[in-house]
Amino acid sequence: MRTSMQISWRRTEQFVLSMPAQAILYMVLWSLIIWLVYFSTYPAIHDSAHSLRHHTLGVSCH
Amino acid sequence: MFSKFKFRWSRLMAVACFISILCYAVISVSQSPRPSVQLTTEPPIAQTVPLEAEATEYLGSGNYNAPVQVKLQARDATGAPLQNARFHVQVLTPPPTPWFTTDFPIVEGTKLLDIEANAPTGEFQMQQVFPIRGNYQLQVQVTPLVANGFAPIEQTLNLTVPESPLKLKYFPVVLVVLLAIGFGGGWIIGGQQEIQSGEIAPRQVRLLLSGVSILAIAVLLFFNVSAEFAAHAGMESAALPVNNSGLIESQGLKLELTGDENAIVGQTASFQAKLTNSQTNQPVSDAIFKLKSTQLENNWIAFAYQGVSDAKGSLAWQEQFFDGAPHKIEVEVLPNPKGNQQFQPFQVTREIEVEGIAPPMSVRFISLFYFTGVLALGMMAGLGLQRRRLQQI
Repeated sequence: MRTSMQISWRRTEQFVLSMPAQAILYMVLWSLIIWLVYFSTYPAIHDSAHSLRHHTLGVSCH
Repeated sequence: MFSKFKFRWSRLMAVACFISILCYAVISVSQSPRPSVQLTTEPPIAQTVPLEAEATEYLGSGNYNAPVQVKLQARDATGAPLQNARFHVQVLTPPPTPWFTTDFPIVEGTKLLDIEANAPTGEFQMQQVFPIRGNYQLQVQVTPLVANGFAPIEQTLNLTVPESPLKLKYFPVVLVVLLAIGFGGGWIIGGQQEIQSGEIAPRQVRLLLSGVSILAIAVLLFFNVSAEFAAHAGMESAALPVNNSGLIESQGLKLELTGDENAIVGQTASFQAKLTNSQTNQPVSDAIFKLKSTQLENNWIAFAYQGVSDAKGSLAWQEQFFDGAPHKIEVEVLPNPKGNQQFQPFQVTREIEVEGIAPPMSVRFISLFYFTGVLALGMMAGLGLQRRRLQQI
């Protein structure tokens, strides 16, 4: 029982620390930043990034 | 036998001639000049740009462009200007482009303006800011003010507004930055992954992911702190109370501006200006109205029109406030130099609250998908080059 749990944990660890998982994590983190800067409707963010949004092609503001 | 053939041949020729004459007549009629509306703009439409909604100095041009002057001239079949006309002008915005959005997706495929006004000289002039790129439709109907003055004209005109040159200038920079971010990540993640004992990931990868996390936190902090400062500055400059009744009396005349008190982006708001005699309550029909809509956050003019009042002493119009910010509507009334009643110009003002609408989630996700796609391309290039480099070693 304990051994099977250890095996599954090791497999999970191997997957999480694999190159594809790291690449996806990196992409998701940057997607979050891009969303925050260009697409979030939270007023504080919208107002701060207003000019940037209106000067970037393919970005809608309001 | 020969005479029968000859008879058939002559009948055939006659039918052919008749069809030719008929075709010629139809073509001649369709090509003959008809009454029409001539459209001109100042500056020429190819040189105009859509509204630069935040003309800041650090990214933008630093000043807001004046609205485009649109001139419509009704002409008869010979090209002479038509007198005593009534214009009904509707401006429709370009159709929606969800796969390549504009600044204001809510404005796409809507009505920007709807105005009916008299034009004694057959010329209708207005100033309008075009909020987005694309093909605008001007649906114009011209009818005579005098019964049977001329045949009514109905025409659809097109105005194609090009994309903002500043956006086109910055776009390669955005692409290069996204590609570089992706490439850098791919280069580091694709490097030699030697995990030391006690480590959960290679040192470089840990540094990279921690760095991006710190950046995300810094971005959030920056936005929140700058928003706090902006809110504080806004509280200090509290708005002065203004007369928003939309009614003013001067020199025995009453000028009234009625209509919607609130507006919403994507929909038109209706207004009517009316000039009457204060004592008799009779309309003053020969006065000149000057309309102006100004966005109050940055003080740019969205729409302006100058024209004469109708027989009821009024001028009605519908306009869309495409920027979700408060606007001011000013109506100034001037005496007609050839009119019976002379007076000093005076004006009425009203402030309109405008509710902005957030762009649809689908439109924002499509753009995010494009940006992330560029990032992914950069990352694949980084991973590939790193792998090739390691294989060579």
